Amino acid sequence: MSSTDTSSNPLLRMEGIHKWFGKVHALEGVDFQVDKAEAVGLVGDNGAGKSTLIKVVSGYHRASKGKIFFENKEVKINSPKDARALGVETVYQEQALALHLSISRNIFMGREPSKTLGFLAKKVMDEESMDALSSIGLKLRSPDIPVATLSGGERQGVAIARALHFEAKLVILDEPTMALSVKEVQEVLDFVRELKNKGIAVIFITHNLHHVYTVSDRIFVLVHGKKLTDISTKDTTVDELSKIIVRGTMGEKTLKEEGIE
Amino acid sequence: MQGSKSKLTYSEGLTTPITFIAAVLIFAIFTPNHIFINPRNLGSIAKLTPDLGIVALGIGILMICGEFDLSIASVLPFCAYIFTLFVKNGMNPFVGYLILLPIGAAFGLFNGVLVVSTGLPSFIITLSTMMFWRGLLYGVSHMMPISILRYVPSESFFARMLIGQVGPIPVQVIWFIGFALLLGLILHRHKLGNWIFATGSNPQAARAMGINTAMVKIVCYMIIGVLCAFVSVMQSVRLGSFAATQGIGFELKAIAAVVVGGASLRGGVGRMLSIFLGVFIIQIVENGLILMQVPVFGVETFIGIAVVVFVILNNFLYRQASR
Repeated sequence: MSSTDTSSNPLLRMEGIHKWFGKVHALEGVDFQVDKAEAVGLVGDNGAGKSTLIKVVSGYHRASKGKIFFENKEVKINSPKDARALGVETVYQEQALALHLSISRNIFMGREPSKTLGFLAKKVMDEESMDALSSIGLKLRSPDIPVATLSGGERQGVAIARALHFEAKLVILDEPTMALSVKEVQEVLDFVRELKNKGIAVIFITHNLHHVYTVSDRIFVLVHGKKLTDISTKDTTVDELSKIIVRGTMGEKTLKEEGIE
Repeated sequence: MQGSKSKLTYSEGLTTPITFIAAVLIFAIFTPNHIFINPRNLGSIAKLTPDLGIVALGIGILMICGEFDLSIASVLPFCAYIFTLFVKNGMNPFVGYLILLPIGAAFGLFNGVLVVSTGLPSFIITLSTMMFWRGLLYGVSHMMPISILRYVPSESFFARMLIGQVGPIPVQVIWFIGFALLLGLILHRHKLGNWIFATGSNPQAARAMGINTAMVKIVCYMIIGVLCAFVSVMQSVRLGSFAATQGIGFELKAIAAVVVGGASLRGGVGRMLSIFLGVFIIQIVENGLILMQVPVFGVETFIGIAVVVFVILNNFLYRQASR
């Protein structure tokens, strides 16, 4: 299992990250990094700590211990606002979209452009949302349609377009292909390739090794809150990764006891 | 495919206006001697509806952001009582009114902070605060009405400002329309309105996007408090006195009006114009059924049925649109 030659000038570098939830040690001294225009697949079985790790980067959780460096400067990410100010945008598993609201209201949620006294600049919102959508190749009829009327793939597109519009330097995708049809999965993977083309770094969390393998440059495997391996996709295969994860999760000793090779 | 979806989404906004027109027509036709559309009856509806209506606008906004407030039934008479004490002790009614509005906001702040800090269902929290304020009010007022005619005579500018007439139109209606316009603009055209919808539709998403959902809810509660204070004086001046029964039943009627006005009980959906019409529908139904000599309990039953029907209808339309 070769470790990859990581760059000495990464966009994001996390050193020795620990996170406790009460007595639960969710992250144990994780070292993680991502370069510009690089896509890293963050994989591992349930409970491995993938969501927790990216929630630390996106400001949803605060690391209990450890350092975070962004563009080579040490930073403290204490809230989603801090993360966004740095240029870190997250597309959550639940998409963080308000289904009853229109596309443009969702894209600008919490960051609404306004005229005097805080009244919405609707024209700006509508024009810029359509621009954001077309920049990732998503063609939708109007910015006023409620997100609830969109398909799963289209909703992911809206969430990604939102991240893009706010000039993200790093986009984190938490299980973006979950519960999507084959066609919709391809749409989302195409969106990810568009992000890379624009020089944006991507962290892609998933259970689906096939999906992440096709778009990632590196795969980072987490098991029980610890890094198991960090490897270039060209140095491995989906099958090998699958074995690594299963062995790592079950433990070598248990495998021998169960008589599994 | 997408075309038919949009047709249905727009029909969400049509159920209330259609029901409004239907209710007016039905009662115009079926009340004895068409007494429903007698100008005096219409005038009386116009004078009474804004009491519930102005407060219901605030309840509608709160429901859109995903919470409830039952305490209006007690906060309203409590504010009326405080105002009565002010004027009885020689305070200028305008000054008293100006001081009362932030007091109303304080009632709202109290509710809002309790809901947000405990994380308990607002239905329960505001039920408790409703009972608390009611008990307190009964304790200090002993349920006795207090006339304020001496302090706010009906010819005074103060009274005419609140319950006078502008030609054939009662001033209350103008206030109601004014509040509906102001709150409607905030809800539909302002940043805060987007935060309110987002908080109701997906509070986790709203928080993830940096919206302070706690503050949004507290603001909505405070708006209701101010509206209660406003209406309490309007009502007292119309009645000529403080009555401990002011506002009774408002807590459920306001919810009924908001639901008939197309808002979802789960939050995230609602239109100010429809809520405005929803209040009238409730009032018209009550008025019309009484004119048709339906026994009083029949009226409440009817409103109860109307609420259930509308909840089911709104739900159905929403699910159709999302398919």
